[in-house]
Formats: sequence, structure tokens, C-alpha cells
Amino acid sequence: MKKIDPALKKILQDFSKSYRAKRRIVLEGYDFEDLRTALADLKDRSLDQNAELLDRFADRARAHGGIVLRARDGGEANDMVLKICRDHGVRTMVKSKSMVSEETGLNGFLSGHGIEARETDLGEWIVQLAAERPTHMVLPAIHLTRRDVAALFAAKFGRPVPDDIPALVRLARREIRKEIFAAQAGMSGANALIAENGAIMLVTNEGNGRLVTSIPPVHIVLASLEKVMPTVADALTLLRLLPRNATGQTITSYVSFIAGPHRGPQYIILLDNHRSEMLADPRFREALRCVKCSACLNVCPVYQIIGGEEYSHIYMGGIGTLFTAWIHGLKASQDLAKVCLRCHRCEDYCATKIPIADLITALAGRIRDRGGAPLWKRFAFDGVMASPRLQRTAFKAARSARKIIAKKDGFSRKLPVWMKKYDRFRALPAPAATTFSKLFKAEFGAERAAAKPAKGPVTIFGGCLVEHFYPEIGLAAARVLSKLGYDARLAPGMCCGFPPSNAGFEKAAGEAFAALVKKIKIAGPLITVCPTCTTMLAKRGAEIAGSEKAKDLAARVVPFSRFVAENEMDSLARLLTKERPALLATYHDSCHHKNLLKAERASRTLVEAAARSGIREMDERDACCGFAGTFCVDNPEISAELLADKLAAIERTGADIVAMDCPGCLLQIRGGGRRKGSTVRAAHTAELLDEAME
Amino acid sequence: MTALIDQFIERAVLSGAEIEPFSNVQEAVDFLKTFFRENKIEKGLISSGLKAAGPFAEAFPHFETRPAPASLWIEAGLVAADHGVAETGTLVHFDLGDDEKNIWTLPEICLCLLEKAKIVPDLEAIAPRIAGHLSRTGLPSPQVSLVTGPSRTADIECQLTIGVHGPSRLIILLI
Repeated sequence: MKKIDPALKKILQDFSKSYRAKRRIVLEGYDFEDLRTALADLKDRSLDQNAELLDRFADRARAHGGIVLRARDGGEANDMVLKICRDHGVRTMVKSKSMVSEETGLNGFLSGHGIEARETDLGEWIVQLAAERPTHMVLPAIHLTRRDVAALFAAKFGRPVPDDIPALVRLARREIRKEIFAAQAGMSGANALIAENGAIMLVTNEGNGRLVTSIPPVHIVLASLEKVMPTVADALTLLRLLPRNATGQTITSYVSFIAGPHRGPQYIILLDNHRSEMLADPRFREALRCVKCSACLNVCPVYQIIGGEEYSHIYMGGIGTLFTAWIHGLKASQDLAKVCLRCHRCEDYCATKIPIADLITALAGRIRDRGGAPLWKRFAFDGVMASPRLQRTAFKAARSARKIIAKKDGFSRKLPVWMKKYDRFRALPAPAATTFSKLFKAEFGAERAAAKPAKGPVTIFGGCLVEHFYPEIGLAAARVLSKLGYDARLAPGMCCGFPPSNAGFEKAAGEAFAALVKKIKIAGPLITVCPTCTTMLAKRGAEIAGSEKAKDLAARVVPFSRFVAENEMDSLARLLTKERPALLATYHDSCHHKNLLKAERASRTLVEAAARSGIREMDERDACCGFAGTFCVDNPEISAELLADKLAAIERTGADIVAMDCPGCLLQIRGGGRRKGSTVRAAHTAELLDEAME
Repeated sequence: MTALIDQFIERAVLSGAEIEPFSNVQEAVDFLKTFFRENKIEKGLISSGLKAAGPFAEAFPHFETRPAPASLWIEAGLVAADHGVAETGTLVHFDLGDDEKNIWTLPEICLCLLEKAKIVPDLEAIAPRIAGHLSRTGLPSPQVSLVTGPSRTADIECQLTIGVHGPSRLIILLI
């Protein structure tokens, strides 16, 4: 169970908002997609030539007089640093920020051998004084308040210290400068290793990197091998985006290019630590494009709730989980992988277009393959979900139990005490009395035979939640399309395979998807009302199955909202009833609908048309509601926190209704509203539209 | 060129730098004399290039080119930039050796001369020159510094605070 500190959560959420505002300003006039495509291409090219570029870098650095060493792993790198320190009589080494040295556990290692490693980056210095670990790659002490820092300084320096930030910074400046002048060696990392001339590029704001690399007589560079790139011009491509994406600055205060030693020797240790294996893996090598800008952390809904101490081994967040798996082993990444929402929000911000969420899913698959998945997931996915017959049996059994578990309002009775963490924060829906498929056939079977729709057929795919819990959503979509003149037809009420796929059960997902593909008959476009099913049908399923029929299916998939907004706005305007109530709506961006399908504008167009009083946007409208499939089972405490924030944002709008396009979000938000006693109705866009039409 | 200069000034001020424009070198020297007198600055550091010749060396003979060992408090540093970058308000310096670099970093106030004619649109415009400088071998080793505004941090409660390790003021003397 992850700890949640409300004070830390507020700091991180406030920081996220100010970061996004600053970033937006510094990217004005630039095409972010162009900038990051150029950087991603550059990183890919550099990774393709990694061995050759490292050799060239080493040759050129040696020509400047530098001593270049290669370390296979963290232990070897630490031993190299120790030997350098001993050879040069180093008793104290000062460091500028280096996550790689955190990765190797260098400070503790040197301390065990009588050498003191002192941090000089203000945040790192503070966390070192506090005997803690960095919790953010750019802002290491983000979890500490000014009062924490003042109390820490007072205890360390034995005098009262005011909790005034400029005064705290002045004190740190004096103390750290003394340490820099007293040290016999300085260590830096490198934001880039430039092959054409053996130079390193350091990007900093405080200026400690400049002092550490020039005041002590010995300079040690500890850098990981993916930092190498061909030329200075390439390093400038990185520099154009890195500060903008990392901190919302056009450029940092200091950028230093250093080629060769200064007044004493320069050692450059190039660390592998399993990166060569990562590079050789066609799937995971993409993660090596990471430039450690931390943008993914800055927008991660989970990171903002639990912080970096909880959401890290050494490296933080989703990208950190990937590095952890390779550097510190699959076991170390097992719990972290479950914490990722797979909301894909980070991918809109990543400087090098790393598909972090998809890689976490692939990682979940590897964890599952090594026996790391819990029993309930193996039963649910390898057992039930992989077999359409068992799926039907399971849902039928749930429907049979409806009389016992359902209350009059359609929600389930409360779970037993030992399971209350799963429904304390949201009421769970009871299974529907009748499936969507049955209701559809009853309502549309006869109608289609009688009428001759003018616009041809459309096939509606409901998905598990609509089929078994929310048939009214599927019916609403069918009615809307029927009123618009389409011949609404029904796809089988089977699982698309997404839940097992997302949990890393690729084989079970493939079987579920193949069974659906075998049975489905599509006439016209395949209309979906669940964005998660949509991503499976339109992309992941075809990737797993690879068959022509799967590809044909993928090409026909259209989310309901997009289909109506792009084709039928004129007809819709004619069919909206003038007597519809003057509702004020707000709209929740479901993660897959916005971040993967990019269909949120279409939905807003529809909601705007259906709700006579229009839309009032909520704060953090694209923050996850906390459902996220098995995430809410693995992490009920984080799910509850995300939902509480979402419900509060909805309430603040004063809206009558909150619309959304995902049945999973509806389960979470409707159930949360029920527990909270909210009067704001939660509805699918299709329901809202159906009710507003003649 | 005027547009480039205007853009440089705008971006440099946004980064927290101060701009003092002059029509000739003597005006800058006069400004510095007044500035040091008013701020009671008697000693400081000067880059070896400025010390070697010209009116700055004559005006400030007591300024040293190397910091004394363990200089915990240096009031001012006087340096010259090789280029200004309009896109970001950045000063570019092709360093040879660390003493030069430290004059930009150690003092409380950094005063930097920049000729308007040396302002370029963006870093890409001088990429070949940066690459060329870094390819020089022999001692002292080549370095290139890009300096934009004063030293800054946001490490405590994400609040921007100026002057953590480097200067708290960067004054650009635009000639």
C-alpha cells in the first residue's frame, strides 16, 4: 500500500499546474511535435550508432588529455571512482547532480571506504543533509517544505535558521562553497557526450556544475552510455527542447561544454549497467531515448499523489519503472509497474516520444511470464477472460446473483468488511438484469425489419461493461444512430481482450480477441462506445492477431462521438428537441479517449449541442478519475484519491451533469458520486444525446 | 540588426539580466567607475582579455585575473562575451581555462561587455564555431559557456530564488 501525504500532494499538484503553464509559454511559436520528432530521431540515430559514437567520443576525449574508462556495471564504476580518489589522495569529493551516481549507490560506497561525497546541487545537498533520497529527477527535494529545510539547517548548523527561502539559499551558498573549495575532486554527470570532439555538455541553473568541474583539481565525469550523440549541432537540438520541457525555461542559466581536463586530470567513466542489453531489445530500446527531462513525472497523476519516494526504486515514475526493470531487475520493478495508470498522459509531454504506458504493459507481460502476476489475475485472465464460454458463464452467474447483491438504485450492496477498501470510496454497480445484446434485439430487431433506414448500416460494439452493466449506453448509441437514419446492427457481446492485454496476459488477450474476430460480422463502420475497447479493436488487437480480418476490423472502428460529430452535426441540429431541459454540463476527459483517440473535441461538440446551457470546464479535466481497470484493484487508496479530486472538480463547476465517453469512468464517477451524495448526474455522451433528440 | 538587438534585450531581461546600453567603450568605463563607487566595490576579478589591454585595464588596475585560493566572497567580475544570442538572451563565451570561466561564476555580481554587432539570431548560427573551438587540442582545454541571466534555483518549494551558487546579478554592458 502506497502512503499518501496530503501536504506533499498539494506541493506536487501545484507544481504540475505551474510547470504546465510555464511550459506552454516557452513553447509558444514553436511546434512541439516538430521539436520532439527531431530529438527522437536524433536519439534513435545515436542509439543505432552507439558503439561507434562511444569509440569516437573516447578517442577525441583522449586527444584532449582525458582518461576514458568503461564500466560494465554500477559496482565496477564505483570501484573506478574509488581508485581515482585513492590515486589522487581525495578525501572529499563534491558532486553536481548525477542520477547515475544514485543508480550505482556511489555516495554510500565511498563513505564505506572513508571518502566523503558531498552533493552541491541545492536540492541534492538538502536531501543528503536529511539522509533521504531524491524524489524528483530535476527537483530532488520537492517533498520538503521551507519549514522542513529550516529545521534541518538549524539542527545541522546548531543555530536558529528562519524559514525564509532566500535566507536559506544564502546559507546554503556559503556552506556549499566552503565544501567546493575544500574538496580534492569534483564529479559531474553529462547531459550529452559529443562524439565529434570528446566534449561533455552540462545543463544547469544554479552554477554548481561550473564550480565542481573547475575548482577541485580532479574532475570525474560519470555518464551512462546512451548520452552520446554525434555533433555539437545535435547537442543544440537537445538543448532547444530539454529546458523548455523540463522546467519551462527557454534555456537554463548555465550550459557548459567542456573538452578535456582543466588544471588537473579529467576521468570520464562511461557506464553500461545493463543498457547494452536494453539497447539490444527491439521493444525496450525506445526507453533509452529518455533525456531525463522529468516532464512525464510533472504530469503524472499518480506521481502527484504519492510522490517520488513511493513511486521509485531509484528512478521515478513510469519511465523510472522501465529503467528499474533493466538496471535493478524485474523484481524491483514489479510493484512499480502496477502503479502506472496507463493513462498515456505522459506521452503527450515526452521530449522523445517514448510510449511509456505501452512499455509498462510490455513489462507487465515479462513480469507475468516470470511468474510475477498474482493468482487472481492469472485466474481472471488466463482462466476466464481467455475463454468466451467461461466469460459467458461468469457473467451469467453474476446476473443470477443480482437479486441478492443489487439494491433498488442499481448499485450493489456493500462488499464484506475484508473487501471494503474496494467500494468504500465508490458504490459498485450491480450486474444489469438483461444484457445489452438482448435489449438491443428486443428494441431494434423488429424495427429494422419494418423501417428502411436511408443511410446504410452501422455495427455497434458495446464491450463488457456495456453488455453486462450499462446496457443503457449501448441502447442510447443505437437510438441516436437510428434517429439519424442508420440501420443499427449489433456486434457480439464479447470481450475485446483489452483487460488481459493491459495486465500483460498477451496470450489470453490474443485468444479473447481472436474469438471475437471469428464471430463478428461488421456492416458499415464499427461504432464503439468505450475508448478502451476502441484502442484494442483499432490497434492492439491487430498487432497481436496480425490477421487480415483483424486489420479490416481495425480500419472500420470509429468512436461513437467522432462518428456523429464528424458526419451528422446538421442532422443532429434538426433533431434536437426544443423542450430539452436547460442543463449545464461539464465534460470529463477519459484517458484513452483523449490521449490515444484524440476524440475529446468531438465529444465536447456533441455535449455542447445536447446541453442547452453549454459546458463549464472542470479543473484538471484530463486527469484520470482513478478507475483504470485493474489499477483500482491493485491501488484502491490511490484510486480513491484520484476520484476524490475528480468529484471535487466536478462539484466546483456547479454543473447538472458530467458527461464522459468511457463506461469505466462512468462506473468510477457515478459510484463515487453515489457514495458522496452528489446531485451531479454522470452520463455517457450517447445517453445525453439520446435524451436531447426528438 | 535592430530587431535582433531588441529581441536579445527583451529575452535577456526576461531571464533576469540587467541591460545597460552605451554608444562607446568610454561610456561603459565611466558607468563602471560610478557603479563600483556607489556599490562600494573596491576589488574584483577581470578577464585576462580585458586585463591585457584597453581602457578597462587602465581603469581597474586593482582587479585580478585569478581568484585567490578559497575565495568565498568576491564582489564583482568583469568579463566580455564573444556572442549574444537573440532567441534566448544568452551570452556565449569561448573559454580557455577555468580562471576565465570562474570569473563568470564566483562573484556576487557579473558585469559582461557585449558588442551589439556580435549578436546572432540563435545558437545554431554559431554551432560551427562552438564545434571548432571544442576541437582545439592542447592546454588549456577548450570550453564554451552559455550564460543566461543570474544563477537560479527553485529547489525549495519550487520558488524561484536568485543567486544560489553563481552571481545574483548579471549586468550586460551593451556597446
